[in-house]
Amino acid sequence: MKQISSGLTHCIQYLSALTGILLLGGCNLDTRMSTFVTKGPVAETQYNLFMLTVWVTLGIFIAVGGAFAFAIIKFRERPNDDRPMPSQGHGNPLVEIGLIGISILLLVIIAVPTLKGIWYTHDTPEDPESFMGAWYKGEELAEEESENPLIVKVIGYQWWWAFEYPQLGITTANEMVIPAGKVVHLELRSSDVIHSFWLPRIAGKVDLIPGRTNSMWIQAGDNYLRWKEKQGAAGPEDESPSLRADYAAYLEGEIHNYYYGQCAEYCGDSHARMHFRATVVGNEEFAEWVIDERTGHGTPDGKSWDDWYTAYADNPDSLTGDLNEGLKLFMGRGKCATCHVVKGNPRALGVAGPNLTNVGSRMSIAAGWLNHRSEEDGSIDLEKQYDNFYNWIHETDVVKPGNRMWKAGGGGIGELIDENGELALLTEDEIHKLSLYLQSLK
Amino acid sequence: MSQTETEIHAPSTTQAPKTHELKPEPSQLGFMRPDHSKSVIMDWLTTVDHKKIGIMYGAIALFFLLVGGVEALIIRTQLAIPENDLISAQRYNQLFTMHGTTMIFLAIMPLNAAFFNFLVPLQIGARDVAFPRINSFSLWAFVAGAIVINFGWVLQALQVMGLFEASGPTAGMTDLAPAMGWFGYAPLTGTNFTGAGTDFWIMGLQILGIASLSAAMNFVVTIVNMRAPGMKMMRMPVFTWMTLVVSLLIVFAFPAITIALGQLMFDRCFGTNFFVVAGGGQPILWQHLFWIFGHPEVYILVLPAMGIISEILPVFSKKPLFGYSIVVFSGAVIGFLGFAVWSHHMFTTGLGKVATAAFSLLTMAIAVPTGVKIFNWIGTLWGGRVRFSAPMIFSLGFVWMFMMGGFSGIMHSSAPADAQQQDSYFVIAHFHYVAIGGIFLAVVAGIYFWLPKMIGKMWKGNLSTWVAIFSTVGLNVTFFPMHFLGLLGMPRRTHTYLEGFGWETYNLVCTIGAYILAFGIFLLVVDIIRCFRKGEPAGNDPWDARTLEWATSSPPKVYNFAKTPIIPARDALWEDKYGPENRKVTYEDDHGHGIHMPSQSWMPFIAALGFIPVGLGMSLMQAGVPYMGYVAIFGLLVLGFGIALWAIEGPGGYHMHPEVDAA
Repeated sequence: MKQISSGLTHCIQYLSALTGILLLGGCNLDTRMSTFVTKGPVAETQYNLFMLTVWVTLGIFIAVGGAFAFAIIKFRERPNDDRPMPSQGHGNPLVEIGLIGISILLLVIIAVPTLKGIWYTHDTPEDPESFMGAWYKGEELAEEESENPLIVKVIGYQWWWAFEYPQLGITTANEMVIPAGKVVHLELRSSDVIHSFWLPRIAGKVDLIPGRTNSMWIQAGDNYLRWKEKQGAAGPEDESPSLRADYAAYLEGEIHNYYYGQCAEYCGDSHARMHFRATVVGNEEFAEWVIDERTGHGTPDGKSWDDWYTAYADNPDSLTGDLNEGLKLFMGRGKCATCHVVKGNPRALGVAGPNLTNVGSRMSIAAGWLNHRSEEDGSIDLEKQYDNFYNWIHETDVVKPGNRMWKAGGGGIGELIDENGELALLTEDEIHKLSLYLQSLK
Repeated sequence: MSQTETEIHAPSTTQAPKTHELKPEPSQLGFMRPDHSKSVIMDWLTTVDHKKIGIMYGAIALFFLLVGGVEALIIRTQLAIPENDLISAQRYNQLFTMHGTTMIFLAIMPLNAAFFNFLVPLQIGARDVAFPRINSFSLWAFVAGAIVINFGWVLQALQVMGLFEASGPTAGMTDLAPAMGWFGYAPLTGTNFTGAGTDFWIMGLQILGIASLSAAMNFVVTIVNMRAPGMKMMRMPVFTWMTLVVSLLIVFAFPAITIALGQLMFDRCFGTNFFVVAGGGQPILWQHLFWIFGHPEVYILVLPAMGIISEILPVFSKKPLFGYSIVVFSGAVIGFLGFAVWSHHMFTTGLGKVATAAFSLLTMAIAVPTGVKIFNWIGTLWGGRVRFSAPMIFSLGFVWMFMMGGFSGIMHSSAPADAQQQDSYFVIAHFHYVAIGGIFLAVVAGIYFWLPKMIGKMWKGNLSTWVAIFSTVGLNVTFFPMHFLGLLGMPRRTHTYLEGFGWETYNLVCTIGAYILAFGIFLLVVDIIRCFRKGEPAGNDPWDARTLEWATSSPPKVYNFAKTPIIPARDALWEDKYGPENRKVTYEDDHGHGIHMPSQSWMPFIAALGFIPVGLGMSLMQAGVPYMGYVAIFGLLVLGFGIALWAIEGPGGYHMHPEVDAA
């Protein structure tokens, strides 16, 4: 029995090691939210530190685990063991001190780069390449902003994200857009409970805590100076057109990358469904996107908004077509405008819910839970997009339980009432028209 | 009764009749004390015997271990496939909240308490703990807290059946069992985000804190004052040492959570603004207070496990513990540094560079004394004669698995790396390696080691080997892949996940592992039942052990030792068996005085019972049930009267004159 047990102990240890190897060998580490395949200096620093700890601990594991396994095997009791009683020694101070010394030394190996890493990831770097003045191609940038990086205010809500660009006067929701290779400074706040901003391939998480503002910086892809350093370029004299071209090609690879993020701090019922996305674009495309966001949307049939509202008030039936019907529902019975902004529309000014400007251009809705990005070419799968809008409006409470769009204490679409005070939810046809209208916002 | 008193009474010549049958006597209140009762139930409810209290702690803790395990299995089943809708988001959130709370406060802490209670007086040669009635109070307060904290499930069941709906301060909230995570971060615990479940959690935890505090103070006093003559501090078994360190940790750490819970209760019940942002409160304050308690709590859970291992390894290596004094010292250092690392739970909250750096370095520092323990355990095996009996197999498994949990701990200590790991499945993997691979395996080792002493019966067969295989394989299959899940970006506490993130296979493997682990625990329960039913008599010292508890009978008599032992050396029993002549354990002559036994009492039980109406009353008041405030006040009165009568009834006590030979 003793023999069996000893064999089994080893067997267990062997099995656990084997499980580890199988898992290490058999898995794909380049996934949507992988911290292994990083796309920015912050995540890269964090990954390098992690790997340092892995190698150090692996070394300790082999040394200590090896000694442990050796001791178990070497000093096991044998059948009919008639060796004398082991010596009853109480220890050896020199061995103890030596081992403590080695432990401290190994920790110093981790500690020094850790301190460097803390300082590097904490403060937004003063990088001239990333100053707005150096790359932003749009108009109307305040003079004093030209020596600042792009600032994005991230505001967490149960269970969605608002992204404000104060320097550019725009706001979007759940899908942020950032320029490739530029340092972006994030200000993190929360409107209700604690959330955590986690975009694993770009940067580790920082919490959004109500009542205070946290900050972090992110950069998707390297800036030119950093990249050049990595290429081993000697110095300023090495500045060559071909190097610039290489960098441009490198950045091109980072452009149009679509990164997945998710809330990482438990924040209530639908915490699991509080995703977000970051799209990385080139400078010019970023400027175009800003203009799009600022301009917003006109009316479905090209009327001015004043005319549309006059018609809506006097003779709503004159506004025909699915999109007009959808817009009427948006402004009227559906009460959407109470909580949502659609830039351009002078009366859609509610700020309790996500900003819906250009919602039809986003690759996902419902804070990243319902996705319609096609995997082949990164374009929008329109059929799926329609289904997602439809399902979202149809069963908001199922898609995101506890959601305030469904029940907000008398204002949600799960609480709509008719003139008689009876519950009158949106009909299938109404949802269909609303979905078409929302799809058209792009 | 201390030894000094025995000596004072030494010249006494009173000759007690040898065959005197003890009868209940009246207390100072005039009621008959429940001593020497014929009723088994009455005897266990009123007992002040540390061994019975220990066994009750153990039994109740094992029950809650199974409850927490079932909760974990439901969680893992839900996560087996993406977008599963087996349970709702809210039910899932309640399950992980209660899984954590149950395992920490209702399973591991009381399992440790079971060992403290049963073993410490035996290991130091004492008759009982210093305050036997407080000991009984601690046990029943723990039971009251467990009932209060789990009562939310009953209410939730009623709500699902349509028989109950919250009104009053939490009207409209449907979470009646706690659903805000076991560390209850503000402001999610506010009345506008969570319902009465949070109130059950606050009240239950507060009561459990009182239970832990009173028990901890009892053990500090016991260990400092009640040691047998010759049992110097540096001769104490390491398990007793760890009990002392843990008790001090509880005494210093629990006040922080007591204050935090008090503030939270005031916020919820009486409209204060400690954590309410709109009223100028600071949610981050909760995190600091919670983790100043919460991190020492980690060591409160794990140090007893280290103590157990430090007892078992020497016995089955036939060698003293390598570097006894440094093991003891490192335990104390871990306890001390445990108070200086709380903010490593908060690296992502924006502490600032300097604080982050300081806590990062301190966290690395705490790896040194932990490593020292592992080195010394290996040193203990080195040159020994390693026997693979059941307790040893689990202990060796502990060292291996705990080491793996320690390594991921070192990975967290690097704050920038932790920014990717925090709140992901990576930390779930880390602390389950420590909690299951570490604490659970050590507790199982302890059960295999000491159950023969507790019940006087020896294990039958080698089912233990299968328990070891299934639990160790299950644990690794469940939690090793979670390291990867976390590093591939899966956040913890998510009730479901989308397809396409590369998490599907890992989650399925984890779920399979959880069932393997569960089967291992099932086998453990079977083995324990078999031992109770079919075990052969164990004898005093079935393992050829080293410490004093093995010198007395199995199970030990109610008075532990017929005569007070005099301890000549560390590893007293081993020296007695194999050491030189001058290191034999001798026994004090009591000069016919006998053993002074404490009287049993209803009062601790009644006082602790008062906690139930207090806890339920306060919580149900929040759920809008009428008159519940009065119920809470009634509970306070019961508690107060219980304690007052306890004081007035007098300590009582009686003498026993066992005719047992000192051995």
